[in-house]
Amino acid sequence: MPVEAFVLPKSELGSFVAKLKADYEVFGPVAKGPKFVFGPVEKAEDMRLDYDTTILPPKKYFHQPEQDLMNFSGVADIAEGKKPVGKRVIFGVHPCDVNGLLSLDKVFLGSYPDPYYKELRDNTVVIALNCVKPCEYGFCASFNTGPEADVGFDLSLTDIGDKFVVVIGSARGKEMAAGLAAAAVEDLVAGKRALRACQHDMTRRIDVGGDLGEFLHQNFDHPVWMEEKEKCLACGSCTAVCPTCYCFAVKDMVDLSLQKGGRTRMWDSCMFYEFSRVALDHIFMPDRTARLKQRMYHKLTYYQQQFNATGCVGCGRCVATCVKHIDPVDVINRIQENPLPAKEVTLYRPPVKIVHTKENPWEPQKAVIKAIKKQTADVNTYTFEFVDPQVRESYTYDNGVFNLISIFGIGESAISISSCADENTGTFDHTVRAVGNVTNALAKMQVGDVVGIRGPYGFGWPMEEMKGKNVLLVAGGIGLAPLRGVIKSIQKNRDQFGNFEILYGSRTPDGMLFTDEYEEWRKIPNTRLYLTVDYVPPGVEWGHNIGVVTTLFDKMTSRKENTIMITCGPDIMMKFVVLDLLKRGWSPEQLYVSLERRMSCGIKKCGNCQMGPVFVCQDGPVFKYADIMNLPGGVF
Amino acid sequence: MAKPKIAFFKFSSCAGCQLSVLNIEPVLLDVLGAIDIRYFVMAKRENHEGPYDIGFVEGAVTSPKELLELKKIREECSVLVAMGTCACFGGLPSIKNYSGFSQKELEEKVYTELWDLKSFPAYGIDYYVKVDYYLRGCAIDLGELVTLIKSALKGINPRFRFHSVCNECKMKENVCLFLTKGKPCMGSVTAAGCGALCPSLNRPCEGCRGPASDCNAASLARSFVEDLGLSKADVVRKFRKYAGNTPEFSKGAEAV
Repeated sequence: MPVEAFVLPKSELGSFVAKLKADYEVFGPVAKGPKFVFGPVEKAEDMRLDYDTTILPPKKYFHQPEQDLMNFSGVADIAEGKKPVGKRVIFGVHPCDVNGLLSLDKVFLGSYPDPYYKELRDNTVVIALNCVKPCEYGFCASFNTGPEADVGFDLSLTDIGDKFVVVIGSARGKEMAAGLAAAAVEDLVAGKRALRACQHDMTRRIDVGGDLGEFLHQNFDHPVWMEEKEKCLACGSCTAVCPTCYCFAVKDMVDLSLQKGGRTRMWDSCMFYEFSRVALDHIFMPDRTARLKQRMYHKLTYYQQQFNATGCVGCGRCVATCVKHIDPVDVINRIQENPLPAKEVTLYRPPVKIVHTKENPWEPQKAVIKAIKKQTADVNTYTFEFVDPQVRESYTYDNGVFNLISIFGIGESAISISSCADENTGTFDHTVRAVGNVTNALAKMQVGDVVGIRGPYGFGWPMEEMKGKNVLLVAGGIGLAPLRGVIKSIQKNRDQFGNFEILYGSRTPDGMLFTDEYEEWRKIPNTRLYLTVDYVPPGVEWGHNIGVVTTLFDKMTSRKENTIMITCGPDIMMKFVVLDLLKRGWSPEQLYVSLERRMSCGIKKCGNCQMGPVFVCQDGPVFKYADIMNLPGGVF
Repeated sequence: MAKPKIAFFKFSSCAGCQLSVLNIEPVLLDVLGAIDIRYFVMAKRENHEGPYDIGFVEGAVTSPKELLELKKIREECSVLVAMGTCACFGGLPSIKNYSGFSQKELEEKVYTELWDLKSFPAYGIDYYVKVDYYLRGCAIDLGELVTLIKSALKGINPRFRFHSVCNECKMKENVCLFLTKGKPCMGSVTAAGCGALCPSLNRPCEGCRGPASDCNAASLARSFVEDLGLSKADVVRKFRKYAGNTPEFSKGAEAV
């Protein structure tokens, strides 16, 4: 298809913008002190189309710094109060930012399309402005994201002196260009020349002469990272100004009635210490080097692995905003000067699972507590049933997956399902320890109370692969909860599985879950249950093993041949379970682990559960160890 | 549910945080409807003995008398909140800890009647007693105060996040004072929550809310000297001003 091109004389820009104003709210680059920002535009003269870059990218109009998700009243009722979204034009978006939006589209409009982002995106016209002059810190030529935008705009403009060459990118753009004169050949030539000259003048570049992802994986332990860590202030400015950063936190805010309020998401940053904080103040990424690398690697390789989109568009904002001048171009150059020895690396590829929901994936469904059973002093098993019969009937899940339990005014918490996927009862169980705000609020609830639940999310235990094989189940503490469904499934379909052994460890005897079910489990044919505790308080009778759960490996009869091992427990336990079995000659292909990270949204959006390129919420939480053992930062 | 009993106490400080409590006008009446203020000497004529559900303590502890009082307050309050930077970290009174003078010399500089004066270096209240929540800032942020009250009423942890002021400053699209104007702004190592109040008004962050989580004050201190040409004494003064007692800001003061 030939490119449809027109010209817009600069003298007519005023009337062009005035025409847009009739139908749209117009935003464009305006001056703020010595810098520029995207802001509302009344007339064309307000705009500074000679701007180099803006403080925040136009991302702020789509993935807004604060986005209201829903209003609520009480703990489970969604209230009305959605603000309408108007039609907008963003004028003068540079190619890097156009590409940044295309990358964000992959995040927000892929699996579980985000209705808030979509609505803003659908109602906004993007008028791109190609770059005819390199900016100070940009390096877009490295990623082919500038100086010219190829796709992702409705109209694109190229400055050729006294006029702009206007290229049509969409039907909507074509309508807006109605009335413009067609571009002459010399206009097109002038446009091409201006862009080529700009490209030529771009000296900042990342070019490793091969695959950047492989290069970075090979140099994960390069000393440069420690040098950068000493500099890095962990202030998070780089992520705030990044056109492709999407991570956010979700917060419930209530008014003083404590009943009414709103659930809002707001930009977050992987550079922050609290980013991966969970209840009891456990932090999954406490080390600043790990966080700095997570950001750099995410931009330069993980994003590509996760979403098949470019994570860095070379806009240079992170460099411009950094008090310590930490610059990806400089970092990569320094590694290139003295790289670590090349080695074979395999880049992680996530499982492909696209879920399209018609409903808003953020809205929890009401579920009523049908039963509460006390397991230990601070752990209860709750049986839930969806209030809406349609939801109840269509709801199915696999063993090992999780739901998000929502209590409006407090928040959401990701909790594994502890009932059996093969039991068609219309209800499901969650076994929950009261440790944080949501779980403590749940512990105060009674039978008949209503909460919100959305899910199920993620991949569960490999029930199909386990068929015809022996199964070794290793659990620690509350980690038995997501495995209880597996035990029940094997019990139900006993002839489909081979030898079955359960190894369960807890800190103390009174911390053990599901104790009243052990007799029944022991009665399953060809099944053995081994128990162990770390410590037996004085005066408590204990007829089983004492020691960490790996001490049971010498007692079990399971052998590596034709066996699948599934484990869930604290990270430190799973680490030694995996290490010990590998030492005994087991293959990483037969080991399955259920990872826990700070899962917040469950739908591969908020970024909180990222572990290197892995989204624990959607790629897991159950992983084959062979798939993740080569993650650059390690697993445990 | 009975209204929670609230008390406000003051130690060595300017009383500015207490005064700001009275400034939450848009929601003051609603807040007063939800809580029962039992003890607030600045605002009330009638004050009642403890115990209290929540105690807000303003000011640093810098004398044996204050210490005894603080221990009693801790026993009387189910939840204890350090209100303001003085109570959190020692604040401005803690400048004396790093002045180079002995306690006796300091007493002589300020007071003439010394016979009944007993003082010691100024520390935040968690140096002596367990603190449940911190409201940082000189003065405190009223939004945070209201959030804390709501959380207490709901029985949840407000889970404040003390990441950098820079983040809030970027959200407001302020022109960076450090990089553009060469002003020694401490926003990059200072805990957010103020909405980048000072930088938004063209004033560099003074670090009044204390260190951000896992901040790298040493690195910023080096930049103050190398990039902005501050004297070493100035850098030390900056990091010892509000939260010099904290290990994080001490690293900044000791880096140059």
